[in-house]
Amino acid sequence: MVNFTIDEIRALMDRKRNIRNMSVIAHVDHGKSTLTDSLVSKAGIIAGSKAGETRFTDTRKDEQERCITIKSTAISMFFELDKKDMDFVKGDGQVEIAEVDGKKEKYNGFLINLIDSPGHVDFSSEVTAALRVTDGALVVVDCVSGVCVQTETVLRQAIAERIKPILFMNKMDRALLELQLGAEELFQTFQRIVENINVIIATYGDDDGPMGAIMVDPSIGNVGFGSGLHGWAFTLKQFSEMYADKFGVQVDKLMKNLWGDRFFDLKTKKWSSSQTDESKRGFCQFVLDPIFMVFDAIMNIKKDKTAALIEKLGIKLANDEKELEGKQLMKAFMRRWLPAGETMLQMIAFHLPSPVTAQRYRMEMLYEGPHDDEAAVAIKNCDPNGPLMMYVSKMVPTSDKGRFYAFGRVFSGKVATGMKARIQGPNYIPGKKEDLFEKTIQRTILMMGRFIEPIEDIPSGNIAGLVGVDQYLVKGGTITTFKDAHNMRVMKFSVSPVVRVAVEAKNPADLPKLVEGLKRLAKSDPMVQCIFEESGEHIIAGAGELHLEICLKDLEEDHACIPLKKSDPVVSYRETVQAESNQICLSKSPNKHNRLHCTALPMPDGLADDIEGGVVNARDEFKARAKILAEKYEYDVTEARKIWCFGPDGTGPNLLMDVTKGVQYLNEIKDSVVAGFQWATREGVLADENMRGVRFNIHDVTLHADAIHRGGGQIIPTARRVFYASVLTAEPRLLEPVYLVEIQCPEAAVGGIYGVLNRRRGHVFEEAQVAGTPMFVVKAYLPVNESFGFTADLRSNTGGQAFPQCVFDHWQVLPGDPLEAGTKPYQIVLDTRKRKGLKEGVPALDNYLDKM
Amino acid sequence: MKVVGLVSGGKDSCYNLMCAVNEGHEIVALANLHPPKESECEELDSYMYQSVGADGVELYGEAMGVPLYRRQISGQPKNQAADYEKTDGDEVEDLYELLVEVKKHHPDVQGVSAGAILSSYQKVRVEDVCRRLDLTPLCFLWEREQNSLLAEMVSSGLDAILIKVAAIGLGEQHLGRTLAEMAPIMKNLQDKYGVHPCGEGGEFESFVRDCSLFKRRIVIDETETVVHQDDPVAPVFYLRLKKMHLEDK
Repeated sequence: MVNFTIDEIRALMDRKRNIRNMSVIAHVDHGKSTLTDSLVSKAGIIAGSKAGETRFTDTRKDEQERCITIKSTAISMFFELDKKDMDFVKGDGQVEIAEVDGKKEKYNGFLINLIDSPGHVDFSSEVTAALRVTDGALVVVDCVSGVCVQTETVLRQAIAERIKPILFMNKMDRALLELQLGAEELFQTFQRIVENINVIIATYGDDDGPMGAIMVDPSIGNVGFGSGLHGWAFTLKQFSEMYADKFGVQVDKLMKNLWGDRFFDLKTKKWSSSQTDESKRGFCQFVLDPIFMVFDAIMNIKKDKTAALIEKLGIKLANDEKELEGKQLMKAFMRRWLPAGETMLQMIAFHLPSPVTAQRYRMEMLYEGPHDDEAAVAIKNCDPNGPLMMYVSKMVPTSDKGRFYAFGRVFSGKVATGMKARIQGPNYIPGKKEDLFEKTIQRTILMMGRFIEPIEDIPSGNIAGLVGVDQYLVKGGTITTFKDAHNMRVMKFSVSPVVRVAVEAKNPADLPKLVEGLKRLAKSDPMVQCIFEESGEHIIAGAGELHLEICLKDLEEDHACIPLKKSDPVVSYRETVQAESNQICLSKSPNKHNRLHCTALPMPDGLADDIEGGVVNARDEFKARAKILAEKYEYDVTEARKIWCFGPDGTGPNLLMDVTKGVQYLNEIKDSVVAGFQWATREGVLADENMRGVRFNIHDVTLHADAIHRGGGQIIPTARRVFYASVLTAEPRLLEPVYLVEIQCPEAAVGGIYGVLNRRRGHVFEEAQVAGTPMFVVKAYLPVNESFGFTADLRSNTGGQAFPQCVFDHWQVLPGDPLEAGTKPYQIVLDTRKRKGLKEGVPALDNYLDKM
Repeated sequence: MKVVGLVSGGKDSCYNLMCAVNEGHEIVALANLHPPKESECEELDSYMYQSVGADGVELYGEAMGVPLYRRQISGQPKNQAADYEKTDGDEVEDLYELLVEVKKHHPDVQGVSAGAILSSYQKVRVEDVCRRLDLTPLCFLWEREQNSLLAEMVSSGLDAILIKVAAIGLGEQHLGRTLAEMAPIMKNLQDKYGVHPCGEGGEFESFVRDCSLFKRRIVIDETETVVHQDDPVAPVFYLRLKKMHLEDK
């Protein structure tokens, strides 16, 4: 039975200091959804006995079947914290003061909006969308596997978004039952994970940053231990409470002694920092030993001892549970003794920030407009009476086919059923009309895992769903009532859509359905790209094989509902140059009366990454940007100030620089040249792929004296031609995407991994044993093009013992001249051009280069 | 007023003459500058004159029933500034010489009809030449809105086809199409890339086959497509008019 009502939740929404918006993030298979069940069951939404098996937040059929989370799922829950624990909630923004019987006291009801996110790298964009709307993150780590590649990726993203992390060590049951680790070994394992996590936090975060210290530390209670599957968990606080009376010290003081190098001498009853023969580590002695004792008694079926423990610890088993034995009894016992839901609730309530706390430091990261306008101030104060500012981070399909709930976070003001609001898409520019709609919000709703609940209005600091705005937004956007509002910053994804397939309807008459289905698919996934090629091809681009597989299945079964034909997956390439153009290239306009003189040259290493990472941004103030370019990349400051634009799409990793000296009418043709540049960088000369890392210099321009002869119709194609000529004279190269692969396996399987990787042009750059386990971790780079079928190949060559995780890492030059027949890049260019229906072979230079 | 018509074979010079007749002027002669016969390339990419289709202009005089005076372009676009003053060896001086010759045969000529719409470069130069010869330039099309002008030409019965394309979005398939067929295509390209619908920026050149001034119509028997510049986006093609004859209307 659900032990709260929607009315209770709505009342809590106004008590914004008692709200916790959090996401659960981790590497795949580290047990996020399973752990989340414990909290869901505590809220009474699922039965306690089913917790750990239901995976309530895996709402889709394929998620249940594959035991993998694909879409992030939100759920709102109401909890009351024990009154005696309220003192642990610290900070004035963290709890509401309520008046009870004339006395002021801390209000102990909490609203937890939890988002369970996928762990597979292919679905990282879902994590990004989840992080945006939450303030805290529960990082789950499998204590047997340790910190993995995706743990690092998501944690890094969380810190970049200013999301405060807390840590949970999951799968302790495995460590105890399968690996049979001793107490000291287990402590070492835990400590190493804590250190690894803190290294990542220190690398990407800043202790003096606006979030304050965000390191995780078991001795302050923001690290939990336990087993989501068995439904038990604890922090040092729980154990500290058991002993506090006995020792006669305060709980938080004792917690410090239960972690790290603190040793207790049973004889002298003294704590010390160094170990002697008589003393034992606090954590082992007071935390692990009792757990080991329970496991030993129950698993080895020592009935007397078990009965004594049940008695001593005051465990109240249900009647039917008393008959259980072994693992089943152990589960029941542990769940009563150390209930996971309660532990998680405490960790979340004590250590994660409320919207009031978090929005104070997150505003400057979230809002694109001036930091002192009405909207910015309201976001900063999480003001429900300010103008509405809501960010829609993703679209959730409704049961009604083709319609979506817009899912997002209200940062200020209130969003209400029937209210009129401005819907600003990502391309909206303040003061202009593009990508802007003023519409009525049909309904506001609350997302409850697999159910939704209608609700009158939702105030600032909460997560909300909207009905009726889906047709105005593609993937996300800003919803506001403030007419001068700027956009909320769009999300940066850590992965990019590098794998693509072409689809067509088996029955050509179904084409309209396919097009409609692709539009819906584009909405339903934060990252997937659905591209309509001019050749009539329909392309779906995703992060990896699994991502594409799910997208195709969704398209076929849910969005288009027609049988599809799919091509083999192919990789997106990028086009770049290796040298400076060997001449200043000249192209004349079709009417021969205008001339452009340009060169192309490669950008310095790292600049393209910085542009893609947002460090160097098209929207930056040009002087500040020039300073960065001059200092970091040794660009000439005056030249760096004359960047005409980035491209493709105005933001991409290619630059157009004006290095002319005193040219007449130059500004008049700027728009046309920029249009030609965007076009050329979007569809490169070699194979129509995007360009990357190319800087174009405009050296000189000769124009017809008469404006009529230098319009867009003349200049756009000329600009495009001259850029193509510049690339062709600057040693063009293809870039291919490369995955970072992390493979976990037993030592015996390592040899097989090398064999598979070698065959696929991969190379290993790190191989290490996971300390305390017999497992090895191999890290390697693998070209994405070679990754199709890699997982299956690897499994068959290692007897199913090696599990790879591939995450896009970087672009790498494909050696060889794409213009020279017989090289690999030449073949790829040929195939790509053929697939896209382009003329065979790269057009010769004289197509683009004109003589004086 | 007695008028000499500068004709290139294209729609603008021809339509301007129709306007002149409507205004009550009398056409006494036609004048045309053509590229050197021996030159390999018929397209000079002149800043002033349409040179493609010069072969067809030979029939113009006969079609209209007035004398046609022709001269070979010998100058170069030397002075490319917005304003023009007399420059020796410039292609504009060819026009001057041509009009001097026309004046010698028709001393009573007072006006010069020229088909410039928006190119002040051309207009400035025609005006300069006229000023020196004490003639009045007649530019009825000057600064007309291009879409309505094009529509007007089509409805006036002016029958012209494209003989050269040189702009984004135009290709070989557009050669030989009539103005009526091209009007919607040009409108679309104008919206997309800012192309001038009347081809005033050099986007295309046309050749008039028939109009109300023609006593006999020109029939094109044989053409040849020539690639001037091969580029997938904005290729330049033109039609060489190889064989033509006149036909009674």
